Formats: sequence, structure tokens, C-alpha cells
Amino acid sequence: MAMAALRREGRRFAAPLISSQPMTAIRSSLIAEEQTPLGLRSISTQVVRNRMKSVKNIQKITKAMKMVAASKLRAIQTGAENSRGLWQPFTALLGDVPSVDVKKNVIVTISSDKGLCGGINSTSVKISKAIHKLTAGPEKETKYVILGEKAKAQLIRDSRKDIELSITELQKNPLNYTQVSVLADDILKNVEYDALRIVFNKFHSVVSFIPTMSTVLSPEVVEKEAESGGKLGELDSYEIEGGETKGEILQNLAEFQFSCVLFNAILENACSEQGARMSAMDSSSRNAGEMLDRLTLTYNRTRQASITTELIEIISGASALEG
Amino acid sequence: MASNAAVPFWRAAGMTYITYSNICANLVRNCLKEPYKTEALTREKVHFAVSKWVDSKPQKSSMIRIFLDLGFLRCAIRSDTEEE
Repeated sequence: MAMAALRREGRRFAAPLISSQPMTAIRSSLIAEEQTPLGLRSISTQVVRNRMKSVKNIQKITKAMKMVAASKLRAIQTGAENSRGLWQPFTALLGDVPSVDVKKNVIVTISSDKGLCGGINSTSVKISKAIHKLTAGPEKETKYVILGEKAKAQLIRDSRKDIELSITELQKNPLNYTQVSVLADDILKNVEYDALRIVFNKFHSVVSFIPTMSTVLSPEVVEKEAESGGKLGELDSYEIEGGETKGEILQNLAEFQFSCVLFNAILENACSEQGARMSAMDSSSRNAGEMLDRLTLTYNRTRQASITTELIEIISGASALEG
Repeated sequence: MASNAAVPFWRAAGMTYITYSNICANLVRNCLKEPYKTEALTREKVHFAVSKWVDSKPQKSSMIRIFLDLGFLRCAIRSDTEEE
């Protein structure tokens, strides 16, 4: 939003500066968007001064937002890195098979509630739509579960009928595992699925966020895939203690895996959101600074032109009196 | 094959493994001593707004879950009966 405002300000200045004006108008009238009527001798620098003040305020605000995003990032980053240890054992045991072919796919798209964070929400939505297209087919069904306002706004436009659940206001309290597990529980209870595909932005560093997809299979599909061999086929070589059957254990594991993977995904997406916001606000402040420089030059030119005009008038008046 | 071994009691009551482990975690957190206890209980706050979509329209049902630490068990049971 701040970027759009800055761009609008820039366009207002770029246009009159580029176009050439007729000779009769004073050069300083190039500045005002509201062209001063011909013959008017003095130009008010007020317009330029107002623009400079508003651009300076925008710059202060975006700088402050960058600081806030940096401090929030520091707070969640350790959490996100620690949570990676939750799902890694699951991937080691059950594998992550994005190419599994199932009838019912549910795409869980994770996005932010607030804006001004660069392009991460659009990339998540783009990837979700691509996955939707990939997994579509005869007798197959793909649904969306949306976390966050921004993805909801984008997906409502063309995929309304495929949305199953939408969840917002996730970051009101600091993120913790209990909240995400209750959310995962809700999703599991309300949605039928064969495979859950979680789309989020993985946090690599403050400037790089990679859109990622994690796949969690339902226990029945795990059984089916186990028969076809591969990593899942080795599950039978494990010894099961206690009185539970393999099916029950698989069910518990599948639920817990979903909860862990979702927890990590939400944390990583939150980190990416703060990082993207930092860089967006940083480039905003830089643009505002450049715009301020251009405005200052224009302001000085206007001021000098009006002073010159006054001098010319005085001198020509004086010389008219003499001679 | 029908269930031969007894399904664990919590699965028979309709809970998922996630709910079961959360209740156990809550019990463990309540066993802590004082300064650590309040710190740990802040990690239990849950707040989000979920809305189910039917026929391309979000339901207006306000399923906002606000769990306060000790009320977890009560809330969990209440929400299960709500969904029926």
C-alpha cells in the first residue's frame, strides 16, 4: 500500500517533468499538477512542500515497520528452527512422497493475515492453484483449506466451490504447539482426505523464502503404498510393542505427523512473512528517500525561479523609471 | 477385519491422538512448580476463528475456540458434543 502511494506520487512528478511546456508558461509551472493559469507570475512552493512532508512521513513509517518486523523475526526464528526436529523423524520413517496418486487431495494453503509483506502470499496461492490443476482428473477431488486472510481473498475469486475450511486470526497470541494441534485436530475432523498437501514458504534466510509443499498421507494410503514397497514397505520390519496393531499405530502416527508438519509450516511461514515485510519496507524507505531527493531539487528550482522573477521585475521597473 | 484387540479408551470415546496427547501435556504442565508453571501455561493459549464452507459460502457459525489453560478438558468435551 505504501509502495502504491509512492508510485502514485512519482507518476505525478514524472509526467509534467517530461512533457514540454509552451514558452509562455513559466518554467516553474511544470511542478504543479494543477497547471497555473497563464500570466500568473508567482508560483506557490506550498504544493511541493506538502508533497515533501508527506513523503518524509511515509519514509518514517516504513522504517519503523522494518524495525518491528526485524524484532518479530528474531523472536520466531529460533522457534522455527527448533520445530524442524519435529517432522524430520517422520520423514525418515514414512518418507515424503509428493508424487503419490490418490483420489482425495486436500491442499492446505498457509498465508498471512496482514499485508505489506511482499509477494509471499501470491506465490503460495500460485503454487496451490498449480497443485490443484496437477491433481485434478476423473474421479479425483481436490479441496482447499485456507489459513490466513490473504490467501482467502485470492482464492475466493476463482475457486470458491473448492474451499472446505477457512481459518483466520491465527497470530493473535504468540504461536505455540497447542494452538496448531487443536487446529490440526479440527481439520482432521472436518475434512475427508487421502493425502494432505501443505503449501507454505520455507524460511532459508532473511532474503530468501522458498515455496514448499509437504505431503502427509492418511493411514489407509500408507498401507496401500506399503504394499508397493519402497520406504513404507520396510515398516513391517519394525517390531511393535504394546497391545496395538499396526493399523492403529499408523493412524496415531499419521495424525501426529500432520500436527507436527503443520506446526513447522506455520512457524516457517510466519518467519518468511516477517522477513519479506522487512525487505519490502526497506525498499519502500529507499524509494521514499530517492523521491525526497528529486522533490528537493524541484523545490529549489521553483524557489530560485520565483526569486529571479521578482528581481527581474524590480530591475526592469527601476530601469523604466530612469530612462 | 473387525477390531480384535480393544481400541484404546480414548479412541473409543472419539478423541484423536492429537487431543489425547494435548490433554496429557496439559496434565504434565500442571505438575510444574510455580514460576515455571505460569510460564508453561502461557504456551497453552489457543485462539483462532474457523469457518466451514458449504456451497461456496462460509458458515456464519462462530467457532472461535478460546481455551484457557485449565479449562482444556472441559472445553474439549464441550466442543465434541457441539459437533454432534
